[in-house]
Amino acid sequence: MFDIIAQTAPRVNFWSAEPGSPKLWGGIFIAIVIGVAFIFACLNLPTNYRRPLIATLTFIAGLFFVMSFVWPKSEGRAPDTLPNGGVEAVAWWLQDATGPISNITTILTAFLLGLGAFSMLRVHIGKLVKQQKDWGFSVVLLLSMATMMFIGYWDWRTVSFTMKDTNFSDPSNWVTATYAKDLVFDGILQKMDAAMFSVIAFYIMSAAYRAFRIRSVEATVLLVSALIVMMSLLALGDMMSNKLIGNFTGGAKDHFMENFTLSEIYGFIRAAFQTPSIRAIDFGIGVGAMAMGLRLWLSLDKTGGTN
Amino acid sequence: MSEVVEPKSAETKSLGEKLLSIPKPALYLALILATAVPLFFPVPLPNEPKDTAKALFAAINEIPDESTVIIQSDWTESTRGESRGQMDILLRMLMRKNVKFAICSAADPQAPEVFRNLVFKLNAERKELKLREYKKWDDWVELGFYPSAEALGQAIAADIRGAFAGKRDAPPGGDDRPVFESPVLKDIVKVDDLSMYLVVTGTKSIIIAIERFSDKVKMGGMVTGVMGPETANYFYSGQLKGLSAGLKGVYDMCSLEEVAHPGTTKLKREEQYILSLHVAIFLLIAAVIVGNVGVFLTRRSKP
Amino acid sequence: MSYEDFQKIKIFCGVIATIGLYTVLYKENKFYRFFEHMFLGLAGGWMLVTLWTESLKEAWWDAMMGRVSDAGTPVVESNGNYIWALLLPIGIMGYFVVSKKHAWMSRVPIGIIIGLWSGQQFSAWLKKYGPQLQASMSPIAPTNVESFFRPVPTDAADLVEIAKFTYPSQAIVNLVALITLLSVLSYFLFSIDFKSKAMLGMTKLGRYLLMIGFGAIFGSTVMMRFSLLIDRMYFIFIEFVKQTLFGLT
Repeated sequence: MFDIIAQTAPRVNFWSAEPGSPKLWGGIFIAIVIGVAFIFACLNLPTNYRRPLIATLTFIAGLFFVMSFVWPKSEGRAPDTLPNGGVEAVAWWLQDATGPISNITTILTAFLLGLGAFSMLRVHIGKLVKQQKDWGFSVVLLLSMATMMFIGYWDWRTVSFTMKDTNFSDPSNWVTATYAKDLVFDGILQKMDAAMFSVIAFYIMSAAYRAFRIRSVEATVLLVSALIVMMSLLALGDMMSNKLIGNFTGGAKDHFMENFTLSEIYGFIRAAFQTPSIRAIDFGIGVGAMAMGLRLWLSLDKTGGTN
Repeated sequence: MSEVVEPKSAETKSLGEKLLSIPKPALYLALILATAVPLFFPVPLPNEPKDTAKALFAAINEIPDESTVIIQSDWTESTRGESRGQMDILLRMLMRKNVKFAICSAADPQAPEVFRNLVFKLNAERKELKLREYKKWDDWVELGFYPSAEALGQAIAADIRGAFAGKRDAPPGGDDRPVFESPVLKDIVKVDDLSMYLVVTGTKSIIIAIERFSDKVKMGGMVTGVMGPETANYFYSGQLKGLSAGLKGVYDMCSLEEVAHPGTTKLKREEQYILSLHVAIFLLIAAVIVGNVGVFLTRRSKP
Repeated sequence: MSYEDFQKIKIFCGVIATIGLYTVLYKENKFYRFFEHMFLGLAGGWMLVTLWTESLKEAWWDAMMGRVSDAGTPVVESNGNYIWALLLPIGIMGYFVVSKKHAWMSRVPIGIIIGLWSGQQFSAWLKKYGPQLQASMSPIAPTNVESFFRPVPTDAADLVEIAKFTYPSQAIVNLVALITLLSVLSYFLFSIDFKSKAMLGMTKLGRYLLMIGFGAIFGSTVMMRFSLLIDRMYFIFIEFVKQTLFGLT
């Protein structure tokens, strides 16, 4: 029964079958039927059972990693040996099952990421069908999406299947699919990605000019701290301060004034203020994350699954 | 009732008001000039690398030649200004030491292709320099994209073979096989067997990796400037063996590598970038000063 | 068309797209919106490609269907585990979010993912914050008072020797760091109405010290954003204008 999750290859068990075999297809069919039956059961589930259902599933999912954390660890496990007692057997199972359990997260997250694209399609197809304002831009979006999907899969199929014997690391072997993918991905998408993010620099510039004012102690402290960090990260700022201090010290590294170079001042600010203050913020977030983790795992939140 | 303020002409404006009324397009144009013009006049600037970058440089150099590391590549061209330089110098250092690497991504679906493109460019450059090509399968393999960084980290910590079970890769023009049959990963049984785990990221994914397995393997980080201060805490607590943050981090790593192994980096581009950064930062500081002086003068002139 | 010519076309397309998006700096316009929608469409399309080719194909499909070697004689490389098929209906339940009546069903896959995430928090917390807490507990009393400041090491052996001691200047820094940590924590965590003047002062100090941390983050953020802009300027003016248009190196 434990094999249902911990499927360390190449083990053959009740839950696995040879590729293409009737047993495998039958198993897949039954699994999908069970899943669809579960969906139908949920569609007709009375409202007061919804919350307990979600809470149970969440708890069971979380229990695995809690068990992995608290269960005694088995050290020095050798291949082809049997566990020494029940505790070690469970420890080994927990270890073996971590990969497949993490795989479940990967797969479900991937399915849910597809939901983002699905929502985008829904909104823009709706706009197009209803000929709402700016529906032309929806056409652009849908066409771009379709083009990228077509080219992406075309390239993948070419490189991984139809022409997999070709060495595509040499550009002289490139074919239409590889050129098309390179143009839309590297030539257009990536450049737009970079442009989108870089635009913020202009807004920072404008905001710094218009809003970064010395109005309160807090604002002044923030401004001075930001300036010191920026100056210390600039080679020229460092060089200028070293030169200035060097005039006093005559190059003696153990001179008292050597403690007042920009990098030393920044070092002090970092060690005495920056690191501990960010660490304190982080501790605060950590306590919150831990509390939230517990609340979510035990479904202690009042909302969720009831409507 | 709100006060209606008649727009003043340039002649009737006080100095304070003039300082406060620089139009937005002028600011934008100044920023474009500040960032673009220095690119045409690269001037090498003296540089004192930060202790975080020095530690990372030392940690990478301590990786035994021809051993295996995993690189988690979580950046796209949205952070190209910093992350491309980070990955570029990291790969050059690893290639110089013939270190094999396996690559995975856990933050952005575009990341694996961006990485492939960079290796492709580096290999083209190596070909021109008559250096050995860094071959897929023999020297590096791909481990794919994982939509959940948490799940990936947890699986790697528990059982690296289980985490990447089913992953396959192929040499150029060859048949695909399980990645653990490759020369890169054949000797890796648990995460401790890796010489180092390096994360190059434009996101917070490095923190997720740290909290999963920083106690099991030496970790190094290359992050964007935004993540620099927060990630530095993990360096000072010993969870990271080294850290390169932002463009300064790239410049530090390139400078250190150039001193140790002249001619192996693309330092010229980083010199152009860092000079532009100086000019842009000075422009920003000037803008903040002008804004504050403007406010001060305007307040003082009010009865 | 040669590979070099293709690269030039590629750069030209990239520059047009970049300028198209930059037009928003003037004002929101149709040219910008065209490229904005194109960007969203391409990014969404690529995500749907990658989710299959880089994730689901191997993690789900191959695990479920098994694999047969296609090199020469077919050999079973791995058996299929049909239980993975169950994840398809569970994943589909996420899409019920669009139904007003059955939106709650989308919480089934989300609940499983959240459960898995929350279960990891205990071990993650310890691994993340254990060393952080330890690093925060630095000595606040000097162990060597021969010199106020930490001496400059003459060689590597000297450096190791010096590192064994805490000098007065370091002890002061450690003390200030501890005060910073505690006061920011008290400001951040204890958001209750304090009566004690000492605690009020502590949280006020925490607020000021927090600003130093934020200032450092702000400074680094500015540098990052400028770096990204510089890279775009490099692309437009160096890679396109100088190298592609004028053929200069």
